Amino acid sequence: MPRSNMSRRSLLKTTALAAAGVVSAPYVRHSYAAGKLTLGVWDHWVPGANNTLTRLCNEWGEKNKVEVTIDYITSQGDKDLLTASAEAQARAGHDIMSHRAWQIQVHRAVLEPLDDVINALIAKAGPISPVSEYLAKADGKWFGLPTTIGSQVKPCCSRIDLYKQHCGIDLAAIFPPNPNRDPKLVDSWSWDLYLKSAEQLFKAGFPVGLPMGQTSDAIDSTGAMFRAFGSVMVDEKDTMKVDSNETRAALEYFKKLMQFNPPEVYAWDDAGNNRWLISGKGAGIMNPPSAWAVAKRDNLKVAEQCWTHDMPRGPAGRFVGQLPFFYGLWSFAQNKPAGKALLQFLSEKDQSRQLVAASVGYDLPSFKSYYDFDTWQKVEPPLGTVYNYPPRGDEQPSITGYPARPDVAAQIYNQSLHTIMVAKVCQGNEPIDKVIAWAKGELEGMLRA
Amino acid sequence: MTAQAIATGQPRATVRASLSRNRRWALFVSYFFLILFAIFFLTPPYYMIITSLKSDAEVAHLATNPWIISNGITLEQYRLLFQDTDFLIYFKNTIIVTLCVVAITMVVSVLAAFSLSRMRFWGSGILATGIFLTYLVPDTLLFIPLFQIVRGLGLLNSYWSMVLVYPTLTVPFCTWIMIGYFQSIPKELDEAALIDGAGHLQMLLRIFIPVALPGIIAATIFAFTVSWAAFVYPIAFLFSADQQVLTVGTVTSLIKADVYKWGMLMAGALVAAAPPLVVYAFLMDYYIAGLTAGATKG
Amino acid sequence: MVDLARHYPVGRTEASERARRTGVTLQLWMRRRSTTAVLMCLPLIVIVAGLIVYPALYSIFLAMLNKAQTRFVGLDNFSYLLGRDTFRMVVEQSAIFALSAVFFKALIGLVTAHLVNNLPSKGQRKWRGMLLVPWVIPLALSTLGWWWLFDPTHSAFNWLIQGFGGSEIPWLSSPYWARFSVILVNVWYGAPFFLIMYLAALKSVPEQLYEAAQIDGANAWQRFQHITLPMMRNIIAITVLFSLIVTFANFDIVQIMTAGGPRNMTHVFATYAFLLGIRSGDLPLGAAVSLFMLPILAVSAMFILRGVRKRGREIG
Repeated sequence: MPRSNMSRRSLLKTTALAAAGVVSAPYVRHSYAAGKLTLGVWDHWVPGANNTLTRLCNEWGEKNKVEVTIDYITSQGDKDLLTASAEAQARAGHDIMSHRAWQIQVHRAVLEPLDDVINALIAKAGPISPVSEYLAKADGKWFGLPTTIGSQVKPCCSRIDLYKQHCGIDLAAIFPPNPNRDPKLVDSWSWDLYLKSAEQLFKAGFPVGLPMGQTSDAIDSTGAMFRAFGSVMVDEKDTMKVDSNETRAALEYFKKLMQFNPPEVYAWDDAGNNRWLISGKGAGIMNPPSAWAVAKRDNLKVAEQCWTHDMPRGPAGRFVGQLPFFYGLWSFAQNKPAGKALLQFLSEKDQSRQLVAASVGYDLPSFKSYYDFDTWQKVEPPLGTVYNYPPRGDEQPSITGYPARPDVAAQIYNQSLHTIMVAKVCQGNEPIDKVIAWAKGELEGMLRA
Repeated sequence: MTAQAIATGQPRATVRASLSRNRRWALFVSYFFLILFAIFFLTPPYYMIITSLKSDAEVAHLATNPWIISNGITLEQYRLLFQDTDFLIYFKNTIIVTLCVVAITMVVSVLAAFSLSRMRFWGSGILATGIFLTYLVPDTLLFIPLFQIVRGLGLLNSYWSMVLVYPTLTVPFCTWIMIGYFQSIPKELDEAALIDGAGHLQMLLRIFIPVALPGIIAATIFAFTVSWAAFVYPIAFLFSADQQVLTVGTVTSLIKADVYKWGMLMAGALVAAAPPLVVYAFLMDYYIAGLTAGATKG
Repeated sequence: MVDLARHYPVGRTEASERARRTGVTLQLWMRRRSTTAVLMCLPLIVIVAGLIVYPALYSIFLAMLNKAQTRFVGLDNFSYLLGRDTFRMVVEQSAIFALSAVFFKALIGLVTAHLVNNLPSKGQRKWRGMLLVPWVIPLALSTLGWWWLFDPTHSAFNWLIQGFGGSEIPWLSSPYWARFSVILVNVWYGAPFFLIMYLAALKSVPEQLYEAAQIDGANAWQRFQHITLPMMRNIIAITVLFSLIVTFANFDIVQIMTAGGPRNMTHVFATYAFLLGIRSGDLPLGAAVSLFMLPILAVSAMFILRGVRKRGREIG
């Protein structure tokens, strides 16, 4: 990882007057909000990606006479969560922080509503992903602004050579690196086909690997799969819906599927599936492009055969797990007008394009109109490998726990209810009815939230 | 003893011979099990050394023997660690923090131990025994209210905050060791000094510290080890790379999202283990002697 | 040291003069004693009160609030936890983890201390050094090393086992193996501490006692039972207590190696508190989990320490 020449804490001095009209933020125009602004942002794993954000904030800060300071805070060891919790508790800290998924709901009592910024952005860029809306809105108000940085989805990432050789499926043809998809082919990519090919791959010695531990990779994809079967844990009115045919259908499906996975999936952390794919042992995982990016470095032969593409279709639709990040402006922040102006600036199309490029296509904005960025067409090898990373076609983003009330859904997510249910059935060999009863008990506890 | 043996009629030579035969057998058994334990204790560090000397590709490669280096020793991981990361900054910060914390800890502990072992004041008995109980609330919980205190003092994101909070981890145990040790010093020495007209401070400096030096060194080593290896407080209070310490810095700069750099991580772990090893190597004997009286007597 | 010769004035009765001086000095000394004592203890008191007691009391208070921290709910959080299956499992797991780890650490420490002590003195140094290595490497980093040794895809242990024809062990994937693995790492890390404490204690037992017993015909086990153990009771009690407190609060090992899984079956208090408090945003509930063992450990500590002080006073 190249050491950045500027120190992580970039202190910017104001030099020029604010250029009128460059930043179209009505709440700043007349006051030329000067002063300081501090940000705590997720530390990107792509080498150099942080520098693009620093540069963008530099430029904005110069034009607006604001001194912007950025601390890059890692999610390793959940340091970002620790810091946010401590700041919220102490009512003091950075002005703006990036928050992962549920943390906006967790901290909403001390966050500043951002409706003005969001509405301005929607007016220009169109609707925001429903998952982001669900995670950031409370009492009808937006408390978080979806970021580009760090936001991701977890679609399939498969070895096209193995699928072709052992299953006769040409994934690059079903999901080509251009908008011309054959609807019949796309329709054929269902969970039934996935199961059949998983069995073939397992027998050939190159199984697929679905993490079934308690980290976000596992929770995101498993939740999306349950949703594809139409299974709901708790609905938005706090009614328990876990005991349903859909849930049973999903669990039955997993019972068949998990036997074609390596046994270690129950202990995988977020990097477990990456390492396994990179080692060449696996035929497919569900992950953002980080696995492919590291394979490029460590095992080029594997990287050249990786193809990111849509999730399979289930009875209730085609869903992919989304994990958005959000910017939150603390209610105790010192310089709110400037904060809002900066956030709007960073979310506009041109800035988002630069951030996506810096992340080699890993970052996924929440505006569907931004999916036409050319980064996803250009990175290689193989060319077009991540074209289908943003959800195109009929693929819909999903978050595990939806549609329950966010406080309850956050518990469902963070306590890995779905993956533990699957693990109990498949690894622990417990009968499905018993597992559903256990889930009911857990959900009752979560409804307390 | 040998007199007794003679009294019971056994010739001296036989007694000595059977004792030494027992000793040889005991020695053999000792070495056998010691080797087993040594293997247990040293396997992970050996593996870490080997991994740190391999290239990234070899680490990720499955077919090669993980216990030896197949594709040539490379110092690349160490070079990258020192040149491309902020590892050396973390190292410097950790040394500053640790030296300060050890100094503070020793001053506070020695003074307090002297006071609690020799003098009576209201609550001193409770304090001496209860000092242990300060470990009951774990740092994984304490960091939350401490965040507010650290913030209030303006020390957030500065390694001086570590100098402030680490003593909470080291002082209680060190004080407790010192109390035990001081209590074992015969009171005649006190009286002699008093008759001499020595004040408390002089008594402490001239008599107690020299006599209790092994115990003091033992406590110093404990304080050093704990400060060096602390993890929870740095991760909670320090954000920027230029303020970060070794443990957290190594982990957070070499593991990002789902991307790990194993070779560099192992290299970093070993370099981070070097200073404590050096400290131990020099002060080991004192450490052993020092922990003797402190714990068993008094 | 003190030169008494200078202080014997010529001409007066030595005895009375000495007595008078001692009396005066002691009187003055005793009057000043309390203030000096408190002053010397002050830094400790400040640190403990400001940075430990106050935050601890705040934490206890925090554990008795509701999730939004708007209402005081007393012991509600605790009774809620006791009603949850998962929490009861965490209690059981933490107990298994702490008790078995401390037991093995103490056992290995005792055995290795004996073994090292039996060696000729010049050899002891290097064995001591070798056996101390686990404690010297910062735990957060050595745990990563162990984790890599257990990693399902790259485990060096499995490579060896498979080389000998066995099948790979799911070190971290199967719940029971995962429990074994975290206990193993904790024992590996903590045993040297016990080794050093016990070695020091062994060295303080007079050699003559052993020789006498040996002449009397006592074998090694009897010598251990009747001489070593009684002499070491205090140090064993103290180390076990200290280690129990610290092991119950262990966070790094479980968090890094298993994050509580699989199926929540390796969670201990600290990791479960982290999950509920920080990840899921219910800080009071997390605080309640962290503090759960506090009453039990505090009571045990008081009993054990009282016993130590009593025995200490007996030895005098």
